[in-house]
Amino acid sequence: MDIIFSLILAIFCVYCFFLVGAESPAATSTELGAAFWPRIILVLMIILLVVNIVNSLKAQKESKGSIMDELNLGGFFRSRLFVGIILVAVMALLMSTVGFIPDCLLFLIAYGFLLGEKRIPLLVVRSLAITAILYVIFQGALDIMLARGVGPFREFALFFEMLLPF
Amino acid sequence: MFNTLFTGLKIVLTPSTFLMITAGTILGVIFGAMPGVSASMAVALALPFAYAMNPVIAIAFLVAVYCASITGGGITAILFRIPGTPSSAPTTFDGYPMAQRGEAGKALGFSLVASAVGGLIAAFAMALISPQLSAVALKFGPSELFAVSFLGLSVLSCLDSGNIVKTLISGLLGLLLACVGMDPMLGIARFTWGNSTLLSGIEMIPVMIGLFAVTEVLKQTVKQKKIDGNQESENNGRMKTVLPSFAELWETKITMLRASILGTVVGILPGAGATIASFLSYAIEKKVSKHPEKLGTGIPDGIVASEAANNAATGGSMVPLLSLGIPGGNAAAIMMTALVIKGVQIGPMLIKTQPEYLASVFGSMLLTNVVMVIVAMGVAKVFAKILAVPYSVLGPVIVMLAAIGAYALNNNTGDVVLMAGAGIIGYMFVKLGYNSAALVLGLVLGQMCESNFRRAYTLTNGSLVQIFTKPITAVIMTACVIMLLYPFVKPFISKKEA
Repeated sequence: MDIIFSLILAIFCVYCFFLVGAESPAATSTELGAAFWPRIILVLMIILLVVNIVNSLKAQKESKGSIMDELNLGGFFRSRLFVGIILVAVMALLMSTVGFIPDCLLFLIAYGFLLGEKRIPLLVVRSLAITAILYVIFQGALDIMLARGVGPFREFALFFEMLLPF
Repeated sequence: MFNTLFTGLKIVLTPSTFLMITAGTILGVIFGAMPGVSASMAVALALPFAYAMNPVIAIAFLVAVYCASITGGGITAILFRIPGTPSSAPTTFDGYPMAQRGEAGKALGFSLVASAVGGLIAAFAMALISPQLSAVALKFGPSELFAVSFLGLSVLSCLDSGNIVKTLISGLLGLLLACVGMDPMLGIARFTWGNSTLLSGIEMIPVMIGLFAVTEVLKQTVKQKKIDGNQESENNGRMKTVLPSFAELWETKITMLRASILGTVVGILPGAGATIASFLSYAIEKKVSKHPEKLGTGIPDGIVASEAANNAATGGSMVPLLSLGIPGGNAAAIMMTALVIKGVQIGPMLIKTQPEYLASVFGSMLLTNVVMVIVAMGVAKVFAKILAVPYSVLGPVIVMLAAIGAYALNNNTGDVVLMAGAGIIGYMFVKLGYNSAALVLGLVLGQMCESNFRRAYTLTNGSLVQIFTKPITAVIMTACVIMLLYPFVKPFISKKEA
């Protein structure tokens, strides 16, 4: 897995090396140019990634394994970790559309269930209470304008904002 | 000199000022403990209260909020691995492992005492040698600031000596992420792929919160046996915030003193600030410690190094603000705005024409750092109760707090996506043996390092010799080389001694 990650990162670094050069004007005698610093970093990264790949291959040879040994995609897709990653990603992506209140409530319920809470009514009540507390603290007391969402979700958020006493 | 000390104490010991400083300390600790509410945001949130106050009390109040928020950031860093402020990130390295071992109370005790000592040393430095310190700070141009940031980067060689290649790759990845957005000198877009959101660069706070907090929740999601409750729940959340014994504190005296002095000096430098101070201090601790292999596993020295330095930096940043009118960071800039509105003449004439303001800052820092220990203990006890909550509740709440913290930065849901992405990548990093702290360090120091180096190059008309032969730069760069080579030379020295 590490070898694949390093290889992908190294290829990306090579691409970035040429990309940043193409985007920036050439350096002058008193100005190093926009590409200078990123290119130094990229060159060092490529060298270190190659070293890492060689080290990993050596270690693998000694243990008589192969690159595909550590890969268990089937197991990963069925794992709690994968579901957790999906939930976090969906929560982050949906926030701009559905707004903070529904997003937070649904995430708390779904992740709580994933973490082993099987008493659904309790989970829902607890999630509702936590959402309300977070909303009152941050939107109300600290005046942080939490995401409202769009369309009906925006109307829903505006309705709650009117209810706040602050 | 001593007039400032006495006037300061006289000001803060009046009942109204004392009350305001205590209120500011409570607000600051609570704001600081909230993820995403940075020290500058805490000062901004406290600003409306300051408008209604007398200018001398207002500055004392704002200073109390500022200092206390940095300390508050350490509470969640230790208990939940969520740094309340970016400068508390290195506190997680040793604080969180201690909390995991059931020593959260002790870790918090060390954190609070170190914060207080750091703050007090910085306050005395500010009151006694403010003009001299300002004169030193003025000697720091781009080449010197580049050397300081490079010194910070030399930490990379010691963050994880077990896998130096992967640590360096992580640090370089952080430096590369810091390049995304507008080039600091020419304003040219780099690595934006035509996306306007990326033009402002990659924000450090969402990345940091994601890497520390979200990654931790994902890790706990995998650990089946921890799902039903946290380790501290055995005590029903009745965690004792124990002050370390005098003997235990005495053992960390050198670390505390070194971190406090370093924090004060770094705090004075414009553009550096508490975050760089704490990382730098942790790195130096790792370099000079008698047992560097234990740092990162949960020992008090790591907490002391980080917390003493970041609090000392708050005092340090007051020096250029008051004596030169140069704000050392965002929080100082907000304070400066409030004081200018109040009619305070910030700058070299302040000490002569309005000495009570300098005295007020000193007095406030002195009092805040004492009151803070008591207040922060109370706040920590309340936060510690949360540890008794089952992880099926706590885990999702940590992710939502992280999301709010990322969002609150710019009121932008793009930062929440960035935070989530950083969390997922952070988990992969942990699994593959890479170092998240190194990535954060690269991201923190990247722009400061690049912009100062390029500025220095332009100012010297492209002469690298001139850059590196400036006295301060040469000394700091020599220190960097020694720090970088020391791990390789150390075995030979030990062999020779044996």
